Amino acid sequence: MLRLKIFNIGITLIFLILGMGVFNLAFLNHPKYRELSKKNSIRLLPQEGMRGRIFDRNNKVLVDNKICYDVGILPQEVENLDELLMRLAKLLDVDFQRLKNEFGNGYIAPFAPVTVLKNIDIKKAVRLEELKLELGGVIIQPKLQRYYPYKELASHLLGYLDEIDLWRLTRLESYGYKTKDIVGFGGVEERYDYYLRHEEGGLSVEVDHRGRFKRVLGYKPPRNGKDIQLTIDLELQRIVENNLKTKGCVIIMEPFTGEILALASYPNFLPSLFFNKKNYLISSLFNNPDAPLLNRAISGLYPAGSVFKLILACCALQLDKLDIHKTFFCPGSVNIGRQKFSCWDTHETQDLFLAIVHSCNIFFYRLGTLLGPNLIHEWALKFGLSKPTGIDLPYERKGFVPSPILRRVYRFQNWFEGDTANLSIGQGELLVSPLQMLRMISVFANRGFLVKPYIVKAIDGRDISDYQKKIVPLGLKEKALIYIQNALRSVVSNPEGTAHVLAELPVAVAGKTGTAQVEGKQSHSWFVGFFPFEKPRFAICVFLENGGPGYYACLLARSIIEAMYNTGLLN
Amino acid sequence: MRNTFFVLLILSILISTLGILSIYSATHDKPGRLWQDIYKRQLLWVSLGLSMFLIISHFNYRRIWDWIYPLYGLSVLFLAMVFLLGITRLGAQRWLKIGWFNFQPTELTKLVMIIVLAGYFSRKSPDNISLLVKRMNLWQGLILPFILVAIPVGLILEQPDLGSAVMLIFIFICIIYLSEVRLRYIIIFLLTLLALTPFFWYFLRDYQKERVIVFLNPNIDPLGAGYTIIQSKIAIGSGGLFGKGWLSGTQSQLHFLPESHTDFIFASFTEEWGFLGAIFLLGLYYLLIWQGILVSQRTTDPFGRLICLGISLSLAFQVAINIAMNLGLAPVVGLPLPLMSYGGSSVLVTFISLGLLVNIDKTKNIF
Repeated sequence: MLRLKIFNIGITLIFLILGMGVFNLAFLNHPKYRELSKKNSIRLLPQEGMRGRIFDRNNKVLVDNKICYDVGILPQEVENLDELLMRLAKLLDVDFQRLKNEFGNGYIAPFAPVTVLKNIDIKKAVRLEELKLELGGVIIQPKLQRYYPYKELASHLLGYLDEIDLWRLTRLESYGYKTKDIVGFGGVEERYDYYLRHEEGGLSVEVDHRGRFKRVLGYKPPRNGKDIQLTIDLELQRIVENNLKTKGCVIIMEPFTGEILALASYPNFLPSLFFNKKNYLISSLFNNPDAPLLNRAISGLYPAGSVFKLILACCALQLDKLDIHKTFFCPGSVNIGRQKFSCWDTHETQDLFLAIVHSCNIFFYRLGTLLGPNLIHEWALKFGLSKPTGIDLPYERKGFVPSPILRRVYRFQNWFEGDTANLSIGQGELLVSPLQMLRMISVFANRGFLVKPYIVKAIDGRDISDYQKKIVPLGLKEKALIYIQNALRSVVSNPEGTAHVLAELPVAVAGKTGTAQVEGKQSHSWFVGFFPFEKPRFAICVFLENGGPGYYACLLARSIIEAMYNTGLLN
Repeated sequence: MRNTFFVLLILSILISTLGILSIYSATHDKPGRLWQDIYKRQLLWVSLGLSMFLIISHFNYRRIWDWIYPLYGLSVLFLAMVFLLGITRLGAQRWLKIGWFNFQPTELTKLVMIIVLAGYFSRKSPDNISLLVKRMNLWQGLILPFILVAIPVGLILEQPDLGSAVMLIFIFICIIYLSEVRLRYIIIFLLTLLALTPFFWYFLRDYQKERVIVFLNPNIDPLGAGYTIIQSKIAIGSGGLFGKGWLSGTQSQLHFLPESHTDFIFASFTEEWGFLGAIFLLGLYYLLIWQGILVSQRTTDPFGRLICLGISLSLAFQVAINIAMNLGLAPVVGLPLPLMSYGGSSVLVTFISLGLLVNIDKTKNIF
């Protein structure tokens, strides 16, 4: 009977082991298997919302969304893959090998469609749809895509869309961004991405073992992004871009509020290039020495040239450092220290007013020495240099204004009188962005206020101008302002003025030219000004990189203002 | 005894009911009338089985004594016929078509072998009515009965049905152990078996080798041979304490779990009824098996005693291997869960075995 006892114990033991086995799976490891079971049977079908559109100030669409089509293949319904891909390649006019590679890379499971070609246009989609019965297993998936009706227009201030990169992802993860998200790069698309971006919604459905739909478990509707209205005037932007065909930038701003009416940088780019990541043109954009992706208006830093002289003039008048009747003699060149500094002409005897009109270097060397580098530095900062203007676009650079202290701290070098002379005419280490210069000239247009430029007027129909506007009074004397305003007008109206080419325009323009020397290259060409003179509505900055003397910037400004007049924008 | 009869009746009806509920749940929304009616067929088999149970429990089992060798011959004949006339299903040739009914001779062979072995080892010496088994030498006690077993085992292996073949060998070992054959012989037999294991590996079919490898590591081939084990573990594990509820198990309802109404019915049952349901079911099986052992202890007839133990053993073996395979603790072999899995032959033979138990218990009282 011993053998029977052992037998009985054996059976009991086996049942205990089985019970423990069930306990282990169904109780101890239940959470893990519950998840696995959900993963088995629950699928998420994403549904995309629409990214917010971008409008100009008159509610004309600058960036829209349109439907385009992706070609997918459902592997389980394909009989002969090679033949299918061959026919697709012929129909869609693409390389067979490329389709094959795409299919190989994207394959997950027989029931999961593989996208082999993205963004085909509607004509091809219709042709495919007609052939769909013949080509088993082909699916055409519609999706929304960014649409740029004016192609390159305003590309820098709008930016482009691309898959999120690691740097952005690490910064934005806490805002709910995920890998593979499409986000804005540069311009309004990047700065206001949080508002523009749509929220993905979707269906969660239960499927059976072959991935066939069983029932809907839940639905989260997608959320559309918010529309954004810019301060940009589409008409004006077009005029500017039609005229700007050399390296440089043009900005036009409302001088009292800081609304940017037009902002163009050249060379520009086509934002739709970035839809297709494999486009070889993208890498040529990044490698181009002319940097088409650079927004020169805010991210380009250049010497200011003669435009900077206005700051000295304003400082001298405000602090009464200079008698307005005081004259300096311009012999054409002068020695400061051991260096010879020359003027671009021989202006002989002249006061401040004429010195501005002629843009006489010698006068401002003298004035600069009189004021001293620290005061110039202080006033340059007062006019918003060496710090960002605060425009609501990404990658603004702040520039640099040198001073004896900074020279000592950063370079361990002494400051010489020659440096003061260089600074006085906006040369040397001074670096400014075109937008900073525009902001500076606006102070003279709006009689003493430093404005913050901005580009977004309304989000989702709500006007945000009040939050955007930031107007700082500089406390300048009326007398000094009027003096400089008149001088700026004379720059144009005086036959000897450097911007006299603008005198014949039907509108009274005031402004200042600049020719910033660049070592070894052609000089940069500046023109900053405002018009109409009596009641300024536009402040303009024209900057041509290595564009020659300021005269060329004036020519460009003239054709822009002429076109504005002809299209009635000045009325 | 009445008591055994009612206990067995209640236990078997409970288990079969749970089985039919699970079969219904696993198949009710599969396309096609054949699938949707499958639970009705099982209902029919259970009713047939119950009537067999009643019939068998009412006539004297001792009469089988004279029919042992004819029965043996018949089952070997059936197995042989499977080769000539059998129906191939799921890659194995296991079924004989008799009228409208596909009959699986292997199931019958399991019971017949128990009876044959019980008869062989309860032979008595004609002179002093003591059991011969104590005086059996190596030839009589081991080799001859093994040949008796080896013939059907060989035929079953050819079908191929590894699970049933192993089960017959196992029953053989247990019966020689329980019938007091000398321990020495049993050890010799086990050692020989162990020494031959590498050769068996060589004779296994590719898919059988694959199953053993996959059993050792299911994740080697998660979409192929390992798929069933993984899905079965997910089904059991996701059931939790109380289960997902009848007709709500996603693994079986959505058909992620293959064979959810036959070999893997335990997994689909546990998914819907949870850990508590599974423990309840295990308890029912334990009681059922225990009845056989109790009857064997009450009976004085060595033939009846060995039959009882053999029946308990074969039930226990099938339950253990089937559930262990559902839990991923044993390789996937085609052994059904008695009374639960869909399949007429298995249900019928199980009910006949239970009827025999009642019968043996009753017959003892007559003496």
